[in-house]
Amino acid sequence: MPITYEAVKRLSAQLYDWSLRRVPEDTKLGLRRALEAETNHGAQQVLKMMLGSAQRAEAEDRFICSDAGVPVYHVTLGTAARLEGDIKAAIRDGFDELVATIQPPLLKHVTNPLTNERGYRGRDMPLVTWDVAGGADWVEILCQPKALGSGRWAALETFSFPSLAQIEEYVTKVVLQAGSQHCPPVIIGVGIGGSFDVAARIASKATMRAVGSSNPEPVLAAMEARLLRAVNATGFGPMGTGGDTTALAVHVDYAAGHGYTPVAVCFNCWINRRTRARLHADGSVERME
Amino acid sequence: MRRLGFPLSRADARSLRAGDMILLDGEIIITAGLPTVQRLVACVEEGRDPPIPLQGASLFHLGSYSQDTPAGGLEILYMNPTTSTRFNPHMPRLIRHFGLTAVGGKGGLDSASVAAMAEVGCVYLSFLGGGAPLHSSAITAVREVAYPDLVAHYRLVRLAVEGLGPVTVGIDAHGNSLFASLQAEAQARMAGILEGLAASRAAG
Repeated sequence: MPITYEAVKRLSAQLYDWSLRRVPEDTKLGLRRALEAETNHGAQQVLKMMLGSAQRAEAEDRFICSDAGVPVYHVTLGTAARLEGDIKAAIRDGFDELVATIQPPLLKHVTNPLTNERGYRGRDMPLVTWDVAGGADWVEILCQPKALGSGRWAALETFSFPSLAQIEEYVTKVVLQAGSQHCPPVIIGVGIGGSFDVAARIASKATMRAVGSSNPEPVLAAMEARLLRAVNATGFGPMGTGGDTTALAVHVDYAAGHGYTPVAVCFNCWINRRTRARLHADGSVERME
Repeated sequence: MRRLGFPLSRADARSLRAGDMILLDGEIIITAGLPTVQRLVACVEEGRDPPIPLQGASLFHLGSYSQDTPAGGLEILYMNPTTSTRFNPHMPRLIRHFGLTAVGGKGGLDSASVAAMAEVGCVYLSFLGGGAPLHSSAITAVREVAYPDLVAHYRLVRLAVEGLGPVTVGIDAHGNSLFASLQAEAQARMAGILEGLAASRAAG
């Protein structure tokens, strides 16, 4: 069976809707673990409120945040998947349909950067990145709405043949710049190498990994663990009002490059909006997170 | 936990200390819009009254979605804080001119606002970001909506709330800012943090 325009459109809308009403399970577990380890009384209260807000959003089918962000999708096309119709248009039309039907309605966050006017549509919206999975007969769509609160603090700097010490120091510098402002505890993505755009994409993709997972490469797993300790030693804490929990996770990945090495750092706020599903060749939809 | 009536009295504002957590009852005014705040500054500059009286008010950087009800009223479907620092250039003027007793949102305000707040007796309250289910359920009535030409979350809205929070006093009326002190502490800790990273790398 082909994977159709209609199926992609419907799933694009559903993934966005689901992401607004539910904190991913791995992230809730991360928050609960942080609460157990947190020593600051005020921070404990804030973490409890976060878990309470997540629980209530699910139970009452409410949005967790009023800022629904802008639509960001990451699509992986299996090379053996048979597609029918304009899949790219399906994602845009899926978001349009969501805007027209979702209850409660979404606020207007799609912003023309030249005029700062806001609406539901804009050039290149939704923001979609495309990937290919060799041999697979499915299409996977990940939806990760992004908003100003955490999106604003992403940064990238390009180094020449940097040492690990320089790379790690840069990550801490970006964490200091963000300070209290990105709705911590955050999920931090770090992309090293490749080129300007590839480093940014790696960092962004790193935030999509489940909280609590480790990079399979031992060097990167060790870097993730020590950067997480370093970030949490800053003391900004939940909502930036003090505490041991400034980040739930630091995820690092890299690509080979040419000695000039971009290092990109980006953040997801604590609600870590992320949903993912696969459309299979038999017509079934596999909801993954 | 203290429950305080809003708009906050100046005496209550001065009684709070950075780090305190409180619950809010009473009336608050909210907007998440920079264009809105710019309009309020224009009111100050041109000697006009704002569409909702702000003297001694509690004005928060909270965005909301409001809609008409069949009975002719308004209801808020959801409400949540936005990042306050983008209002930095305008807040000292509004705090001083209107003698605001409480401002807030998330992420704090800069030193110019901290100084203005100490002068007039005003606190900054940090709301939980991603707390829409909690904040929204504390709204008991929508009293007034101004600037209907703006997108929903930019409008100036006067609300009645009961048990809103808990919120953290991020900046008190005595010049203490958690945001500034935590930033200074983090910077002071940075040398040690970098040493820790180096030791971890060396240990392999």
